Amino acid sequence: MFGILASVIDGILVGAVYGLAAMGLTLIWGVMNVINLAHGAIIVIGMFLLYIIVYSLGLHPYVAIPAMIVFGFLFGIVLYWIAVHRVIGQAELMSLLSTFAVNMVLIGLGTAVWSTSPYNVPVSMPSISLHGYTFTGTHITAAIMAVVIAGLLYVLLYHTRIGKAVRAVANNREAAELTGIPTTQVLAMAFGLGVALAGVSGTLIATLFPFTVLSGDAYQLKSFVVTVLGGLGNPAGALLGGVALGLIEGLATPFMPVSWIPVVEFGLFVFCLIAFPRGIFSFTKA
Amino acid sequence: MSDILLQVDGLEAGYDDVQVLWGISLKVERGAMTTLLGANGAGKTTTLRGVIGSLRPRAGRVMFAGEDVTQLSAHAKAARGLVLVPEGRQLFSDMTVEENLEMGAYSPRARQHFKSQLEKVFSLFPRLEERRRQKAGTFSGGEQQMLAIARGLMSVPEILIIDELSLGLAPVVVQQLVETLKALKAAGVTILLVEQNLHLALALCDYAYVIAEGRPFLEGPCREVAAKPEIRQAYLGL
Repeated sequence: MFGILASVIDGILVGAVYGLAAMGLTLIWGVMNVINLAHGAIIVIGMFLLYIIVYSLGLHPYVAIPAMIVFGFLFGIVLYWIAVHRVIGQAELMSLLSTFAVNMVLIGLGTAVWSTSPYNVPVSMPSISLHGYTFTGTHITAAIMAVVIAGLLYVLLYHTRIGKAVRAVANNREAAELTGIPTTQVLAMAFGLGVALAGVSGTLIATLFPFTVLSGDAYQLKSFVVTVLGGLGNPAGALLGGVALGLIEGLATPFMPVSWIPVVEFGLFVFCLIAFPRGIFSFTKA
Repeated sequence: MSDILLQVDGLEAGYDDVQVLWGISLKVERGAMTTLLGANGAGKTTTLRGVIGSLRPRAGRVMFAGEDVTQLSAHAKAARGLVLVPEGRQLFSDMTVEENLEMGAYSPRARQHFKSQLEKVFSLFPRLEERRRQKAGTFSGGEQQMLAIARGLMSVPEILIIDELSLGLAPVVVQQLVETLKALKAAGVTILLVEQNLHLALALCDYAYVIAEGRPFLEGPCREVAAKPEIRQAYLGL
């Protein structure tokens, strides 16, 4: 009995990290109506940054977290100017193709450098044992970090001037421009934030599981499921959606072969799209 | 020669293949209330979009406080005090009253005056203070228009341009807003009012421009314009 509970708890811990990944996708989507198909590749950048920090630079693995936030933010701004700026406000297909092209370039470069073989960065953290089940320290740490970063994002968006400008641009870009907000700069910054979130979730995932250059796709798809669960452009919803997805994975794992998990997840995805087109946790704050 | 705050010369603008404006010129005197009139589709809103920079003019020049601002983006103009209250209010509907006002004061120049301007705005519209934590999207049309004007005032306008003040509002609400405009004018705010309600605008303003089919039609002091029979022609196309 405790075995199921243990896998549920573990699922929730991992789910918080899925939530963080989805926040990056949903922030960009919500603010500029761009579905970033380079999301998965950016998650992979986060994974390999951990590898570089640990093996090439010999630093502590968790140094990769702040490093990825800074690098992701700057990289995101560069990406915005290269691949996104000109397709803002155009038909959605334009931004899909443009970000998909970025995705292919990044994965191509990654494959050239690291091939597609699996990598693993063992991170040693003290673990907690209960009734013969072990909760690894890395899972607990990753979940705590995901929640803290989500909280920081919330504070940024709701309690700082620049964050409120991001919401204003998301809400009504033309009006934001009229009130003196430099909306193009705000969009570039929001894209940088989204990329930083995706990247840092990749770094956290890499502390938990082995990864390859191609791992991004699976997490990108999970991010879509979480976005559908949590609603668009809502960090709290994304975190809840991620936890819900982790919970479902945790619950399903003891009862079925692992290969069936995606079937459950995407069955849920389709079900949510039909039954809750605005997202289950897409409540509006009064 | 009086003090001209905003001067538009030969403005031409349009959308894609369609040219809407064919040489609009107007002058707004500091401290005065000027109005731009015309029938639906005459090009009033397009003129404002060209002036404010959300639409790039094809020809012509916009001078503001002695500076050529034709090529500046809308946010840069707003930061200089050239402020538009757009048609249809365009509030940040998911954000609270307070947040809307805070966004109005986004530019560094407006930020310096945030506290004093907020007091002014709340004394002008006490309802907004009562509802400062309510979301803008839940407001009635009249309240939204109040908030839109209040947000414009938070930008510390040198000139406040209001597009369609009365559109879609109940007469009693319009009357309240007219009183507000009078108070603003008395306080020395320069206003450019665009209205499809001819009588309302002519009763309030000092100087009027009438445009028809994207071209200047007639202009003059409001009292004189109100008495001219041609004004019906501009509206009815007779």
